[in-house]
Amino acid sequence: MRYLLEPFGSPFMQRALAEALLLGAVAAVVSVFVVLRRLSFVADVLTHTVFPGVVIGFVVAGTSGIVWGASVFAVLSTVLITVLAGRSRVTEDASMAIVLTGFFAVGVVLVSRQTSFTSDLTAFLFGRILTVDRQQLVVTAVIGAAVLLLLGLLGKELLFRAFDPAGAEARGYRVLALDLVLNLVVALVVVAAVRAVGTVLVIALLVVPGAAGRLLSDRLAGITLIAVGTALLAGWLGLVASWQASVNHGLRLASGATVVLVLVLLYGVAAAIATARKVRA
Amino acid sequence: MSEPTGPVLLRFDHASLAYGRARVVEDVHGSVHGGEAVALIGPNGAGKSTLLRAVLGLVDVVSGRIEVLGSTPARARREVAYVPQVDTLDAQFPVSVGQVVLMGRYRDVGWLRRPGVRDRALADDALEAVGLAERKDDRFGTLSGGQRQRVLLARAIAQQPRLLLLDEPFNGVDAVSQQALLAALRRLQDDGAAVVVSTHDLALAHLACDEVCLLNKHQVAFGPTEATLTPELLRAAYGGQALELAGDSVIVAR
Repeated sequence: MRYLLEPFGSPFMQRALAEALLLGAVAAVVSVFVVLRRLSFVADVLTHTVFPGVVIGFVVAGTSGIVWGASVFAVLSTVLITVLAGRSRVTEDASMAIVLTGFFAVGVVLVSRQTSFTSDLTAFLFGRILTVDRQQLVVTAVIGAAVLLLLGLLGKELLFRAFDPAGAEARGYRVLALDLVLNLVVALVVVAAVRAVGTVLVIALLVVPGAAGRLLSDRLAGITLIAVGTALLAGWLGLVASWQASVNHGLRLASGATVVLVLVLLYGVAAAIATARKVRA
Repeated sequence: MSEPTGPVLLRFDHASLAYGRARVVEDVHGSVHGGEAVALIGPNGAGKSTLLRAVLGLVDVVSGRIEVLGSTPARARREVAYVPQVDTLDAQFPVSVGQVVLMGRYRDVGWLRRPGVRDRALADDALEAVGLAERKDDRFGTLSGGQRQRVLLARAIAQQPRLLLLDEPFNGVDAVSQQALLAALRRLQDDGAAVVVSTHDLALAHLACDEVCLLNKHQVAFGPTEATLTPELLRAAYGGQALELAGDSVIVAR
């Protein structure tokens, strides 16, 4: 147990832990909807389309501009993607891929004009969870609260739409509006995660916990609980692993990526349990 | 068969429907009273589903009119229930039978709020009405196709509709579930609701429906079941797909 708590003696590790747990829990709840709606690819697209916003925010206003730039692009790309998903002459995945790469390229071109090109790019893509400050924690908490509030208020409508879109439409729900809300929620999580785990790794937080929950439970409540538990465990163990590796073994592991790695390992455990259950049944 | 005594709940006034510029159904004309059941019969692609969607206000009426509960389709939607084909739904979706039925209450519960005691009671009663009360906590996908169709009907009943639309509810449904569906529909009619059901099953239309609308991109006939399900009219609706067998019975190849 000492081994597992030892890393969190210093304030920067405590902040990193708080950020990882906060972000993990919120993203896990969202991931349940991502898995139910089969939105993994859309979530992936959103993680990339927020990227140019991050860069522009940083170029215009420095570190504090990142959240604002990301937010603007989150809203813009959410609308674009939701509309494209409904009515596309090209197949949906093709038009999505075009949006993904187009936006992402804009971000890379902009960041390549910076003198500190490589280090900036790395930070935006993979995050720096160990340098998270108090202000960033507040931003994550506020966005997280907004996301949970939206899901709490519109959860039953989003569930209806996910289960039976034709039935929901027949009941007078605007399916496009509901899709817009859910995509926006996904984009908000990306914005909250930019500083800590970066725009690329956040996709793991938005997909893996819900997928693990789905493997182990047939109930919405059960899936959500397992998803949140998995994400919290991954945040904690991932930070422990990266700290212990660097302090005791001289191995420098990127903390955000280690958290994601642990998350994927936990998914493997869930898959093994699910398979074992099936074999026994 | 009961005489139509209820008010007119659904009126087609030479209605033609279109998706964008493509006209899909032409000139439907007739009316449905409270307490009545109407079968929508025609070959695949005849426009049956389109007509149902138009009654919900989801398809444009390009000429003529559709009047629902004395109002426009979109405005009447709150009191109109729609039962989709069960095989359009994901059987793996992690939702319980009780949750599905409760969805019928969501619109009346309203945004931002949770279903209350009364909503849960209505959902329980509806599930009872289709004979599946004991399966409430089971996952939707673990039920048979016929049972899932009954759950969807229960969801519609929980909505307390005055007009009920069903899209091919008897496809691949076992005998027990078919009886349960018919009994539940009968009870709704006794309470004054009107039922419109699209189906391929002529025997079932004979058995359960007062009126028939024969459709093949345009209306072939709309009238009392006995007078409408005749070999001549069926041949007109199904074209070469209808084969005549001994006397006046007709078998329709799908």
